[in-house]
Amino acid sequence: MNADIDGEIDQADKGHLDEFLAANDEACALRAELETLCGTIDSVEAVSPPPHIRHVIMNAVKPTPTKTESPGILDILFASPVLKYSATFAAGVLLTMSILSSDEISHRAFDDVTGLVGTISDPISGDIVNSISVDNAGVAGQVSLRRAGSMLILDFDLVTNGPVEIEADYRDRSIWFNGFAQLESSGTTISAKSGSVTLGMEGKRRYAVYLQNSGERDVTVNLRFLTGGEVLHEASLKFEPED
Amino acid sequence: MSKPDDTTLIERCIKGDRKAFETLLIQYEKPVFNAAYRMLNNKEDASDVTQTVFLKVYENLDSFDPSRRFFSWLYRIALNESINVLGKQKRLEPLQHEPADDGKSPEQEVASAELSAEIQAALMTVKTEYRTVVILKHFLGCSYMEISEVLEIPEKTVKSRLYSARQMLKDALTRSGN
Repeated sequence: MNADIDGEIDQADKGHLDEFLAANDEACALRAELETLCGTIDSVEAVSPPPHIRHVIMNAVKPTPTKTESPGILDILFASPVLKYSATFAAGVLLTMSILSSDEISHRAFDDVTGLVGTISDPISGDIVNSISVDNAGVAGQVSLRRAGSMLILDFDLVTNGPVEIEADYRDRSIWFNGFAQLESSGTTISAKSGSVTLGMEGKRRYAVYLQNSGERDVTVNLRFLTGGEVLHEASLKFEPED
Repeated sequence: MSKPDDTTLIERCIKGDRKAFETLLIQYEKPVFNAAYRMLNNKEDASDVTQTVFLKVYENLDSFDPSRRFFSWLYRIALNESINVLGKQKRLEPLQHEPADDGKSPEQEVASAELSAEIQAALMTVKTEYRTVVILKHFLGCSYMEISEVLEIPEKTVKSRLYSARQMLKDALTRSGN
């Protein structure tokens, strides 16, 4: 019966089955039931993959496959998305601390910084309250907003084709930039001032920006992705505390 | 101009042609993502599996046996990766409802999402060896012979697993009131 419904029955068996069904009402009912079930399953629509996935994969594949070089820790982390943020954050903490001691980051705009990565006690936990996908020729990926107590965490998982600047503007001056964690050891810059954080990046990056929202106020983070001063994409992430 | 077949695209990929790989990716990202999603019931995990699968495929293209069909190799990797993730999780994720904007009315949208959720919930009650045959048959449109190739099991086993899987799904749907 299954083979008949699936169109995979040969003529001889089909003849036998038809004879059997003609003489057996119960079998006929069973076949009808089975056919309905198969039709129902077949009518379930295919789910579309996230739009940025193709960019992420193409960005991760090297021009020519090489097997002789042993991968570094960053290659391993990047090649295994299932490791997710727990691993990337752990690496990010160490790497960011070394970056912060280097001259790569502009310190001029850190006037309002209240703390850095070391102040975050439990960086992994936190519920996603909002997220957006970006699918642009210049930048693709996801940005999520998580809440962990009074901390708001912006998770960036992005791939760009060239240098891109990201402005995260949250206006409310009672909210403070509290820290930054990233996986890559170079190529990302960050500067913060009252009400906004600006990041500069190129290639594939995963990083997190920590904001202290002690008053647990409503926050809208307006994101602008720019290249050479031109806006590539704009989006907003909203946090509304539960009553 | 005719579309290059998978074997030609693989040969070009091995020579370093990223465009050829992108063509394969465009062709297969949706079935791979759907296979992973139906196995895992979680879109984020399905995305991760899809990425891992294509990176593994790219890195191992030179070990691909051209006597096999590319999709059977690809789907096998996708199902194995999904099973690995399931093994690590040992838990069931809550169903995600993410409405798709495809021009349907809100009623059609709701009915379609409900049906999908019911089938998915029933699917998650079925053991992985049975779930894989249902996914290959109904969501990836494979024939018995193709399922047999992907899972490397005899066609006779495919038929008996599919029969059992459908019985299990019917029972699960009946239990949930459908």
